[in-house]
Amino acid sequence: MADTREQIQQLSGEVVQLVSFRLGGEEYGVNIAQVQEIIRMVEITHVPRAPRFMEGVINLRGQLIPIIDLRTRFGMSRIDPTKSTRIVVTEIGNKRVGIVVDSVSEVLNIPIENVEDAPEMVAGVGTEYIQGVGKLGERLIIMLDLTMVISTEEKQQLETVEGTSP
Amino acid sequence: MSDELFNREEFVAYFRDEAEELLQQIDADLLQLEESVNSPDPHSEIVNSLFRALHTIKGSGGMLGFTDVQGVAHKLENLCDLLRKDRMPLSESVVDILFHGRDFVTDLVESAVTGAAPPHGLTEYLSRLDQFVAIYEETSYVIEGRTGPETTFEAAAQQETKEASAADVDAFEAEVERLLAEAEAMRQGAPAPAAAEPPPAPEPPPAVNVPTPAFEIPLEAATPVPAAAVPEESAKPQKAAEAKRGSIHQTIRVDIERLDALLNLVGELVINRTRISDIASTLERLMADKATARDGTIGASHGIIAPLAKDLSDSAALLARTTNEIQESIMKVRMVPIGQVFDRFPRLVRDVAKARGKEVQLVISGAETDLDKTIVDEVGEPLMHLLRNSVDHGIESPDAREARGKPRAGTISLNAYHEGNQIIIEVTDDGGGIDLEKVRARGIRQGLISSEDRLSDRELIELIFTPGFSTAEVISDVSGRGVGMDVVKKNITRLKGIFDVDSIAGQGTRFTIKLPLTLAIIQALLVRVVDELYAIPLDSVIESQRIEMPDVRTVHGNEVITLRGQVVPLVRIADFFELGGHRDPDKVMIVIVGLQGKQVGLVVDSFEGEQEIVIKPLSDVVGRIPGISGATILGNGSISLIIDVHSLVSEAYVSGKAARAEFSGV
Repeated sequence: MADTREQIQQLSGEVVQLVSFRLGGEEYGVNIAQVQEIIRMVEITHVPRAPRFMEGVINLRGQLIPIIDLRTRFGMSRIDPTKSTRIVVTEIGNKRVGIVVDSVSEVLNIPIENVEDAPEMVAGVGTEYIQGVGKLGERLIIMLDLTMVISTEEKQQLETVEGTSP
Repeated sequence: MSDELFNREEFVAYFRDEAEELLQQIDADLLQLEESVNSPDPHSEIVNSLFRALHTIKGSGGMLGFTDVQGVAHKLENLCDLLRKDRMPLSESVVDILFHGRDFVTDLVESAVTGAAPPHGLTEYLSRLDQFVAIYEETSYVIEGRTGPETTFEAAAQQETKEASAADVDAFEAEVERLLAEAEAMRQGAPAPAAAEPPPAPEPPPAVNVPTPAFEIPLEAATPVPAAAVPEESAKPQKAAEAKRGSIHQTIRVDIERLDALLNLVGELVINRTRISDIASTLERLMADKATARDGTIGASHGIIAPLAKDLSDSAALLARTTNEIQESIMKVRMVPIGQVFDRFPRLVRDVAKARGKEVQLVISGAETDLDKTIVDEVGEPLMHLLRNSVDHGIESPDAREARGKPRAGTISLNAYHEGNQIIIEVTDDGGGIDLEKVRARGIRQGLISSEDRLSDRELIELIFTPGFSTAEVISDVSGRGVGMDVVKKNITRLKGIFDVDSIAGQGTRFTIKLPLTLAIIQALLVRVVDELYAIPLDSVIESQRIEMPDVRTVHGNEVITLRGQVVPLVRIADFFELGGHRDPDKVMIVIVGLQGKQVGLVVDSFEGEQEIVIKPLSDVVGRIPGISGATILGNGSISLIIDVHSLVSEAYVSGKAARAEFSGV
């Protein structure tokens, strides 16, 4: 899809600014416009019967932020948090979500012509989550489509008891 | 320059809000007027109210240069004036014209404010209106207080009614300019300039009302309206009307964002107040411990610290009281009566009924029921759909009803009330009920079910909620486009509410909407389950008990206890949430909760006291978690999930457990 590049271009212009982070040995990036802040790992309050990749919620200055474990989301094995584990608090539209990553690297500027479409499968991550692949010298940055990452729509609808009266 | 623009935006917004209120009032008045058409009672009160409302809209619109709005409002005001002077008899056609006029004004206000295109059919309506009015208007009158030429208007009034053309309008404008100049001249004591050519405009066009402060003489004297009316409405008409309205409505408009900010602050205050209370009681406990320990080293400072601890406690208590009051006040501010939304419905029902040739009576009760402003805004549309649906599909035609032995006019009752921590809204009609056969046929036709499928009545009703489903044979503009029920259900679900339908063939249908009252701050009972703290809304808690295991019976695999002769099923929270943990073999700690008469015992590990908590919604991203209605941040910063009693009670009952338990005679 050549539209991907057009989309990115529309969003970011000639240069894409990414916050890059590491996950399971690969480097990923999310558009800096969507990153609100990066915090150290904190205790996550588990929410029962939530989708498996939904770790729980945290208290960020009085607001409840849901946390997604990206490893679980991408089907990787879970690991215990280390000193470099971080939570990237993202904001899309009016939704805020924190994603747990192994470590955060830096802010990168990638010229749009160095962005390519994603191949079918990259590092075991399905293409639906990937916006494209950015090349910076020898480095390959997998650009994530956050809206897909945080989307829970395809997950089973947690039908509650609406419509059924006790 | 930017200052001026900024101010104008504010005024425009204010104008729009004010107009909305006024137009709503006009609607209500017109409905009343319509009912009094055939009664001998005088209707001057209502007409006066209409007149005042239209007058205010005219004035406000004029001030902002919205000449369209002003013009139409003026014509309608004119008509009302004829009515109240008994120069025009009240009839259904008059009311109809007023209704249409009111709608046009609404559209014109909208297009004036947003810059959208003006409504269709305006010119035709206006000429119809003018013709109608001209029949009743006097053709001669005296303009008080003016010595200038009146012949222009007199002559014009006596001529035949003809449609105004652009040239007419130009001439009229010129005339107005001249009048304005005259007025200015008069104010300054100069002699009035000579009259210009009589304008070719055949009918007396309304003078542009310019109630700017500069003109002190009643400029409205120039309007071609019988003189008697004019001097009363002189100099400061708008202010007078405003003052009148002001005495009736002791309200002010508040930006809801500001309210939300205030509410957040109160929330933080509540959290902090709890922390202070905690510190105070810890200190006191510490003091008590140290005192009994008789530790000599503490003894000296004990005398200093103890009173301090006491002071802290007292302050905390005072803080608590004050915070409570502030919190209650703020919550009340956010709550508005649902009548705000109900107001539009009589008109809606009337219009739809008329369009469908049906007779429908709308009975509203519980309009004073309060709910959070944000919900009120959202619930309007679903309700509108339901009402339309009832009129369109529910209520039969007058003839059909008569044939069935029902009164010709159908009744739709709209009912709102509080129950527990919910607000219930019911839309009930005495129409024909949902034709399940038609639903089944449609379902088959749309491929949703096969002809072999055997569906219960309830399941057939559920079909209605499928997107695109509709049993209307003719797709009308009112409903029947198949966008009705599923959209309603979706909207209600989005508000975290419940939507239900009950129907009896031939007798009627009832739609029930249940919405949670989002009181952001509630009293809760904290409980510990497998090392985590959960909050149970105190509203639903009946009592808490410790029950020894021998008293816990198992019926068909479900645990129950007997409490004062009643069988109460148990739900282990640890199991419901799949939290693991291990069961205490000796006892169960139970929180008995009740909802609509049904009781359930929630099994927890321990009770951790009552506390006031601030409800924070779990993000949309998390989705709906059965059994969880939100979360709260405790004094120490940790998060506690709030248990949704409703789903836990349903869990225990819907699956038939309780039924089995009850009937097995435990």
